[in-house]
Amino acid sequence: MTHTQKRILINDIVMALSTLSAIIGISFLLWILGILVTNGLEALSTTIFTAEGAPPGNGEGGLKHALIGQLILVSYAALFGVPLGILAGTYLSEYGLKSKMAETIRDISDIMMSAPSIVIGAFVYAIVVAPMGHFSGWAGSIALAIIMIPIILRTTDDMLQLVPSTLREAAFALGAPKYKVIIQVVYRGAKAGILTGVLLGVARVAGETAPLLFTSFNDNFLNTNMNEPMASLTVTIYNYATSPYEDWQQLGWAAAFILSMFILTLNIIGRLFLLKRKGR
Amino acid sequence: MATIIEITEPKALEVKDFEFTYAKADAPSIKKLSMPIARHNITALIGPSGCGKTTLLRSFNRIHDLYPGNKYEGEIIFKDRNILTSKEDLIKLRIQIGMIFQKPTAFPMSIFDNVAYGMRLQGIKNKTELQGRVEKALQDAAIWGEVKDRLKHDANGLSGGQQQRLCIARAIAVEPEVLLFDEPTSALDPISTGGIEELIVELRERVSIIIVTHNMQQAARVSDYTGFMYLGELIELGRTEEIFVTPRERLTEEYITGKFG
Repeated sequence: MTHTQKRILINDIVMALSTLSAIIGISFLLWILGILVTNGLEALSTTIFTAEGAPPGNGEGGLKHALIGQLILVSYAALFGVPLGILAGTYLSEYGLKSKMAETIRDISDIMMSAPSIVIGAFVYAIVVAPMGHFSGWAGSIALAIIMIPIILRTTDDMLQLVPSTLREAAFALGAPKYKVIIQVVYRGAKAGILTGVLLGVARVAGETAPLLFTSFNDNFLNTNMNEPMASLTVTIYNYATSPYEDWQQLGWAAAFILSMFILTLNIIGRLFLLKRKGR
Repeated sequence: MATIIEITEPKALEVKDFEFTYAKADAPSIKKLSMPIARHNITALIGPSGCGKTTLLRSFNRIHDLYPGNKYEGEIIFKDRNILTSKEDLIKLRIQIGMIFQKPTAFPMSIFDNVAYGMRLQGIKNKTELQGRVEKALQDAAIWGEVKDRLKHDANGLSGGQQQRLCIARAIAVEPEVLLFDEPTSALDPISTGGIEELIVELRERVSIIIVTHNMQQAARVSDYTGFMYLGELIELGRTEEIFVTPRERLTEEYITGKFG
């Protein structure tokens, strides 16, 4: 075998192996999605959106309480988490730069990003649930916000740093004060990237179960009072899917399907923004 | 030891015993430099890479202050005051001394908003006044004809040369007294370069101009005075034709004849 033949053979083997691995990876993803879609669509019905939790067996249960609860929990989490994350990212990129303080915050936020979410749940249990004496929507939203902040902080920091420093200098050279440079020029330049970070951050927490298990807990009926325990799709999936009742399991499938589609959509929108930014 | 000719015209700026040290640097990048800048003339700064010409240029509007730890010493006199003091109002200074950068720096907004940016910073909100001044600035920057039908379009859709002229329009819209050009054509093709050079020469009527350039032909084409810098010092300042035809310093002659650089 000549040197060239050997090289081509090795190339073919490596290509075949990596293609095979990619196919295996993607098949699992498609398999999961496939089962989710078939079972989920089968379980979907209009009562799911209109009815609240019901005892097992009569098939009258719905997910209205969990859908609305989920929306409220994630919205409040975004209300706290998005501004905090963006402002902290702005501090890092525009004020902290490479200072010790800024680098420490970056390191800590990286660690927080990989912290198991159940640990965050336990933390919020200790500082919110235990003193209040009961589970509440607030506790759930706080837990989700804490998970969201480091993600948005880091993407904001990264995206702002991608804005060329000459653009900032040009704005300063026209006599702009710093806050106007940041708001009018730097934010504008990084708009798509920051928005992507926000969407991915929201998508990430929307799928969290562990931090809600002992913060917002659950409620079988519609509750919009943040001081009370609140239902969420994720905890509902956990409860219904592990129950022995057929109709509850069906509701679990439906919940899983709706949640996955929601997160998938957020992710796709986020990535489209990023593509648009790169394309320019 | 530097050869600096007397300037008879009024001075826009005067540099006196100026030293500049970058943060964390051991030695100053500019050493005891003194030079006058003639009003309503074009002064070119030439010299090999690292000679300190851009550092000097960026001191005139104190853009160095954006990065902590940089140190100025000596004086730069502008309108009878030393602009290097800590009580200098940098926002006012930068309105009076504008800057054009090496790469075009169009802001991510519409063409109109780009040009109006500096005026809006000064609190001009009147729509008619803004429109009039934007149009005039774009005309003065010789780009009005190309953009007048798409003022609301994103400025990043313009070509490099157009963007650079847009940046010049943005800078002259606030009617500065001095304009600093930091290698304004090094990212542009020859035709755009020619356009920018013509523009710079025309602007001399209204503003005093300092231009840093790596291109000696450019300095010869556009400037009235040329300063040759080497290793953080001003070696020679003279009328441009004299610098390029009969330089008095041997270093200047060696640089412009291409013996080093």
